[in-house]
Amino acid sequence: MYAFTVNGQVVTAVKKQTLLRFLRDELHLTSVKDGCSQGACGACTVIIDGKTCKACVPTTDRLEGKNILTVEGLSEWESEVFTYAYGEAGAVQCGFCIPGMVMCTKALLDVNPDPTEAEIKYAIRNNYCRCTGYVKIIAAVKLAAKILREGVIPAKSEDDWKVGSRVHRLDVEEKVLGFGKYPDDFYMDGMCYGSALRSKYPRARVISIDASAAKALPGVIAVLTAEDIPGENKIGHLKHDQYTLIPVGGLTHYLGDAVALVAAEDMETVEKAKKLIKVEYEVLPAVHSIEEAKAMDAPIVFDEEESNVQAHKHVSRGNAKEAIKNAKHVITQHFETPWTEHAFLEPECAVAYIDEDGDVRIISTDQDAYCTFHECSLMLGTDKVKAENALVGGGFGGKEDMTVQHHAALLAYRTGRPVKVRLTRAESLLIHPKRHHFVMDFTMGCDENGKILGVKAKVASDTGAFASLGGPVLERACTHAAGPYAYENFEIEGTAYYTNNPPAGAFRGFGVTQTCFATETLLNMMADEIGITPWEIRYRNAIRPGGVLPNGQIVDESTGLAETLEAVKEEYDAAMAAGKLVGLACAMKNAGVGVGIPDWGRAKLIVEEDQKLHIYAGASCIGQGLGTVLVQMVVSNTDLRRDDIVYERSNTWIAPDSGTTSGSRQTMITGEAVRRACEKLMEAKKDGKTLADLAGQEFYGEYLAKTDPLGADVPNPVSHVAYGYATQVCILDPKSRKIDTMIAAHDVGKAVNPLSCEGQIEGGVVMSLGFALTERYPIDENCKPIDKFGALGLFRAHEIPKIEAIVIDKPGLNVACGAIGIGEITSIPTAPAVTDAYYRLDGERRFTLPISGTPYERKGS
Amino acid sequence: MMAVKKKFPYRAAVVACNGDCPASAGFRCSYGCVGCGNCAAVCKFGAVSLNANGVAEVDEERCIACGMCVKVCPQQVIRIHECANSIVVKCSNQDKGKDAREVCQTSCIGCGICERTCTAEAVKVVDNCAKISEENCLSCGMCAVKCPRGVIADLRGILT
Repeated sequence: MYAFTVNGQVVTAVKKQTLLRFLRDELHLTSVKDGCSQGACGACTVIIDGKTCKACVPTTDRLEGKNILTVEGLSEWESEVFTYAYGEAGAVQCGFCIPGMVMCTKALLDVNPDPTEAEIKYAIRNNYCRCTGYVKIIAAVKLAAKILREGVIPAKSEDDWKVGSRVHRLDVEEKVLGFGKYPDDFYMDGMCYGSALRSKYPRARVISIDASAAKALPGVIAVLTAEDIPGENKIGHLKHDQYTLIPVGGLTHYLGDAVALVAAEDMETVEKAKKLIKVEYEVLPAVHSIEEAKAMDAPIVFDEEESNVQAHKHVSRGNAKEAIKNAKHVITQHFETPWTEHAFLEPECAVAYIDEDGDVRIISTDQDAYCTFHECSLMLGTDKVKAENALVGGGFGGKEDMTVQHHAALLAYRTGRPVKVRLTRAESLLIHPKRHHFVMDFTMGCDENGKILGVKAKVASDTGAFASLGGPVLERACTHAAGPYAYENFEIEGTAYYTNNPPAGAFRGFGVTQTCFATETLLNMMADEIGITPWEIRYRNAIRPGGVLPNGQIVDESTGLAETLEAVKEEYDAAMAAGKLVGLACAMKNAGVGVGIPDWGRAKLIVEEDQKLHIYAGASCIGQGLGTVLVQMVVSNTDLRRDDIVYERSNTWIAPDSGTTSGSRQTMITGEAVRRACEKLMEAKKDGKTLADLAGQEFYGEYLAKTDPLGADVPNPVSHVAYGYATQVCILDPKSRKIDTMIAAHDVGKAVNPLSCEGQIEGGVVMSLGFALTERYPIDENCKPIDKFGALGLFRAHEIPKIEAIVIDKPGLNVACGAIGIGEITSIPTAPAVTDAYYRLDGERRFTLPISGTPYERKGS
Repeated sequence: MMAVKKKFPYRAAVVACNGDCPASAGFRCSYGCVGCGNCAAVCKFGAVSLNANGVAEVDEERCIACGMCVKVCPQQVIRIHECANSIVVKCSNQDKGKDAREVCQTSCIGCGICERTCTAEAVKVVDNCAKISEENCLSCGMCAVKCPRGVIADLRGILT
């Protein structure tokens, strides 16, 4: 028995366990988040005797007499101050890191009421945030300090909730005070725990599975193998090549393939039982790389396939070969970009149970509840399945696939018990699809004025152990490799290969992050060769309204690349004139999936018994702030006030399917569906009816973002309904050789919430500073990736440069109040801009990411 | 006593010796503090003193990281660290495990548990003694909690 104080109450811990497990499992203080249990992420930060401490580190036996504080123990005044400050500053996105950040804020301000920016950064530097880039969290701490000193909470700076207003996001309070629930925060009566036994080898045949000893272990409820799957074993986001469980006789594809599932009364028993399962393997040679995958005598990753080619794309318009042949300036170069881990703060978790209708209900953290529904239905062989989103602690593309949902569903289906399946951080690092490693060969030809005449390229990606979104990522990498420029001759061939590495799939930028690095670097080299600035070469080639992109699409009035260039011009010129080291790059990114795929936005507005309008859209908020966007759209398109409106998280039984949170699409596609539903509501309200008069009524809106398929036989195909454009500038400090400032100008159409827009930009830029400079995802000779969260090389708060986010509000699009999604493009031009700046510093061109020879390079490991 | 305004990020001296036994004891390890008192004598700020065992200790509040004590230490067990990095290795013993164990209750035996535990890959055993990279350390203290020898300390006094 160990006695200590938690939030003012004396508590006794009976067993020795980590403080994190005690606070969550025994006291259900779920503001204390389990992001890694490795001491890295900081999401479980609490205050012990006035000092911050990660709760996953100390065990209860060491805490005798100590005084512990969690967010739940803040005073009412502190709660109000932190909620206001974090909301006003726009510091909250997915929210998973926030309670830990709040604890850091309090611990700092208790001893230092007026901290400097450097002191604030130090106070939060051992806590990771993957969404915000820390900028607005730092601002929130500063603001909280001011309010605590002055004793008065001011009015919100903007509160009219119309489109264009910098309102506090609607989920600030539940995330700051930690009462909002992510799946792991659900503790249900009779709930048991599940986990998968993973393959011991990346490529092996399963000869036999003996689960008898595991089943006999007291506390074990079920051990399931492939035979227990009632429906299809193979599922997948698009292509069904992802095994729920590898059957006896089947081949394993990577170390994350599940062989058996265990459910038991507690996690300790689950882990014991997993060790008791005897699996006999025939170990086979593995495919480690693109090179190995395409070798003539390569082992074939899938029994079902004839080669390791997962996808092949060929995009061609005009005659690139001829254009390059006739060009005055030609540059050819090889490029490589690495694997990247999403490192969202919340590891994958799902809770499944049998609900009152006898359906398997799945509470999940994903990017599309309907995806979870479809894939789990397929696997269970029944549509008696419901899926709903809890809060989602970040996604960035990494939560589009099934990781835990299908396993939780199967265990609940077979045991009849509520089951929680949660990945450890090490599992998360192994299992969800990553950003593709790309190898690329590019040739660009320009005339004497720097006008691009043609680009020809060949790229290959390692899509790992199953398809996930490998095909579409490759396709987007290819279509966008041309860049946001007006020229006619473009040809690219791309191939994605299966290997026995972890799977690769969607990741913010969706393949464009990779090919943009190549195109933009070539353009910078070309500018030097011709003798004009990187800014000038882009301004000369920039696509403008009415212009034709290399894919043949005629772009509309919303096209704002030139405006993003103009927005940075003054600072760019000033920095150049001052002899500073400046790098620059541009990007374009589609909003909406496009290329002929039916891209539906759907929403239902229901006036419920509380006489409020509830927004139901089967569209996941993964932290970007979709709920706030939709509420702002309703306020702008109706006569309702904010307080009349309730945003409901995505589910599959009331909310209509509005597609995956992917392709920067929700703001625009679901936003337009909501706007259309608003028209119907206002029609019904025409005769002066109030919401009370409309109780029980539903207003449905849908929008199809119609596009032409790739290679459509039309002169000017519409590949995407909208594109966002960006220019980013990197300015180095020659003394420290570190980045002094990143300027990021983004054309977003109409900014629904400029505060959130800035947050996306800052977060995207910092994420890609990691991509450019520090992040690593090494995979060893056994196809085993890194398992330590703290060694991924993610940027920490004290390492970020000054980030200047410029939101360019350019109208022109006639849907969704003119808004264009911004989620992905923020991360795309960063790496080539940074790389170019370092070239200006030391004269060394770099073609492989992350780049070397910078002060950011990791020392000592 | 001099008073100096400290510059952020604050730095201070740290003694890489636990000092659990008398500095004068004959069986003592040859790498640790010998209690000569040079450090305390040279410090103009009263930040270094000898504890009950005669082993040097630093008061971080007073220390300004001038480095004088580092220079005068004959054993080279004092170094400068960033105060924000409160997790520090309090041992300098470079002998192999068995020998290191014999001379001190709280010596680093180079077992490597810290290295394997560290999520940030910030801890490495070099010459049979744990070393923490301040740049990579996330100050979680997992190494301090897992160290079977009590070699790694949390200077804030929370974890150790």
